Amino acid sequence: MITLDGVSKVYRTRSGRRTVLDNVSVTFEAGQNFGVLGGNGAGKSTLIRLIAGSEIPDFGIVRRYARVSFPLGFGGTFHGALSGRENVSFVARIYGAGLRGVLHYVEEFSELGEYLHMPVNTYSAGMRARLAFATCLALDFDLYLIDEVTEVGDQRFRQKCAEAFRERMQRSDIILVTHNIHTLRQYCDRGAILANGELTLFDDIDTALGRYHRMVQESL
Amino acid sequence: MSDIGEIRQSAIGAASTGDLETCRSYLGRLDVPNHERAWIYCQLSEALYHKGSHDVAVECARSAFDLQPEKEEIANLCAWVFSNCGEHEEAAAAYEQLLAIRPYWATGHRHASGSFAAAGQLDRAISHGRKASDLEPHSFEFALHAACLLETVGRPAQAAYYLVRAAALDPADAEVLRHLSATLLALEQSEQAVALALRAVALAPADRLNALHATELLLRTNRYDEAAAIILEVVDIHRQDPVALRLLSATQMLRGLTEDALAAIDRALDLSPEAAEYHLHRANLLYRLGRLDEAAEGFSRSAALDPSNPDAKRSQLTVYFDSGRFSEALAIGGELIRTSPDNEEYGRAILQVLHRRFEMLDGDYVVLSDRPLRLRPELQLRPTFFAALQTQLRVIYALMIRETRTRLADSKLGYGWALLEPVLHILMLSLVFAVMMRGRPPIGDKFFIFYYTGIIPYHLFVHASSSMTNAVSSSAPLLQLPLVSTFDVIMARGLVEVLTDMMVAIILLAGFFALGIGLLPHDLPALSASVVAVSLFGCGIGFINAVINAFFKSWDKIWAQLTRALYFCSGIFYVPGMMPDWIRDILAWNPILHAVDWFRSSFFPEYEPHWLDRSYLAIVAAVSVAAGLCIERGLRRHLYEPL
Repeated sequence: MITLDGVSKVYRTRSGRRTVLDNVSVTFEAGQNFGVLGGNGAGKSTLIRLIAGSEIPDFGIVRRYARVSFPLGFGGTFHGALSGRENVSFVARIYGAGLRGVLHYVEEFSELGEYLHMPVNTYSAGMRARLAFATCLALDFDLYLIDEVTEVGDQRFRQKCAEAFRERMQRSDIILVTHNIHTLRQYCDRGAILANGELTLFDDIDTALGRYHRMVQESL
Repeated sequence: MSDIGEIRQSAIGAASTGDLETCRSYLGRLDVPNHERAWIYCQLSEALYHKGSHDVAVECARSAFDLQPEKEEIANLCAWVFSNCGEHEEAAAAYEQLLAIRPYWATGHRHASGSFAAAGQLDRAISHGRKASDLEPHSFEFALHAACLLETVGRPAQAAYYLVRAAALDPADAEVLRHLSATLLALEQSEQAVALALRAVALAPADRLNALHATELLLRTNRYDEAAAIILEVVDIHRQDPVALRLLSATQMLRGLTEDALAAIDRALDLSPEAAEYHLHRANLLYRLGRLDEAAEGFSRSAALDPSNPDAKRSQLTVYFDSGRFSEALAIGGELIRTSPDNEEYGRAILQVLHRRFEMLDGDYVVLSDRPLRLRPELQLRPTFFAALQTQLRVIYALMIRETRTRLADSKLGYGWALLEPVLHILMLSLVFAVMMRGRPPIGDKFFIFYYTGIIPYHLFVHASSSMTNAVSSSAPLLQLPLVSTFDVIMARGLVEVLTDMMVAIILLAGFFALGIGLLPHDLPALSASVVAVSLFGCGIGFINAVINAFFKSWDKIWAQLTRALYFCSGIFYVPGMMPDWIRDILAWNPILHAVDWFRSSFFPEYEPHWLDRSYLAIVAAVSVAAGLCIERGLRRHLYEPL
């Protein structure tokens, strides 16, 4: 369960202040998968980072009653000069997970083979993404944050990711940001719309999609 | 009257032949005296018993006994009929009635004891049995009977008393010896027990029970080979005896002949395939032989045949655990803990499985999951102080490892530079000043050591404070991980620098010793204190630098220049005492100068500079650490822009 309690976040950009969240108090309950909708630049990614804890709100507090993942597929922590193994070990150590288990899982899942012992800056973008995806899955989180599902690798590997993810969702919840309506319907039980600094939760994803659709049409 | 007399006569005659109808017509009359009625019932009962109508015989005996229990012949006959017809309680009552009349009748006590034993009243059976044997101490059967009863209720000491009596009466009776052996074993006199058991076997070599008993005893007293000799003979005679084969298997197992043991238990299982205990034993043997899959199957078979026995399940857990099938082990553990939730041993076993499973992967995509037993973290609003501290230490440790790895990976020289820098430094200083000063350093007689004592504290400070300066900007991606804070990345850098410099200092000193120019510090506490103080000072300034650098991007370059200036003000290659007083008084504001002199004075006992103010360095270090931590905490959210 994640609660946002009076959370505000403001960005100063060249074009002035931009309010992402304005005194927002909501609860993302455990056992439910949320899909977050919002226009470009509404601040969906910022919301995800606030929930993850990689960003601190200006006001208010975010409470996490679960082990929350870093955004799925985030490979920013990888250091190019270090090998895949060393990079994965680092993340595993940070989260206090058993090194052997995590490394074994990543080896199996990422299918990088000998490349795991090579520096990450020798990887292709796809290989990096595979490593990042495998690392996130190898750590057992209660809540996975997904900011725009990145399609990784070939058809077979995508299939494998989807299967692994479906299996993981039996135990873990997700908060998903995507423009893909099909994906939202497939994974999410509930929806949320982020617009003009307000975050509104809906009891089911279809209501949220309907409302969002109307909002987009009105603004046109 | 004659009519009645006739009927009476014919009834008496009918009674002795068991003619019930004829008797009834007489007994139906009201004027028959009780003693006569009882006597006729008695006669009838005996006759009917002989004719095989046991139910009616018992009925008649009951009537007779109810009418005249005090009469000896009647009680005697009734007891006999009851006892023979399986009415043990009534038989016992009748015998007690008889014994009230003839209290010293040993055979009667023996009969009463038998009836009570059959009726399940062991206490009274024992009291009569003992009385019988005590009244008639020369009766072998009475003594054995009493002993067996006492043995059954677990009073081996008293049983032994009667067994000794029986054995004295017939020393050649193997059965008595066997019983005596069993009671002695219960009394923990195993040596004598074994001796008796062996004598019993010697007396009756063909007796299966004796042999089995002796084998068991020998196994208990670790005399496996003798046990094997006996049990092999038994198995040779009784080829179809599963009990003997089971015992043979145990014997061979204890002798280390696991394969033979397996063959024996296989034969036993052929004869009684449903015995859960045999399956359990067989699975244990397979486990010993390392045939884990078969063992697991055996245990599960045994558990299925006897679900009430948790041993099979417990062993199954071990086998699954050993063969790395953690999910299955966990499932079994779950069943065990459900049936006996208070069993600590099961709890420990499950925890062990969970720990191993946490470390190792099992199966497809199940990673690190110990969900079933873990409470959901919802219950805990905030991590406890120690949990938070533990997490932070873990994070800093991870960052430190990463820091050292990247250093190794980033440049070809890697850690070589950490060692090379001070070495070159010292070499250069030594060369230049050896020429200038014509052979003697300001203190001591070794140039290398003198410059070493200057360079090491300086480097401790400069390396830590400089490296921490751009810790935040160079670790920006890591700060995306929620667990990693700016404090952690700054601290990790400082620690790596300080630890590296300490290692370098030790290696250099060792190198000096190898070259024969080593010098040990005379004051180790002072050395440690100065190192700690200067390291803390470096880290405190490092924190301040890291914060300044976040707002003022070129600060790291300015800091580099400042440290260079510091190099000349810290008494590294000279002694402040060589300076004019007014210059020295200005230089004394530099904490690093105090660090160098403090460090230096721990090496050279003759060096006791009067300007050295240790508490000054300590206070400056403490203040800088406090200030650094405070501004880092206060400005944390402004230290970096998220990507």
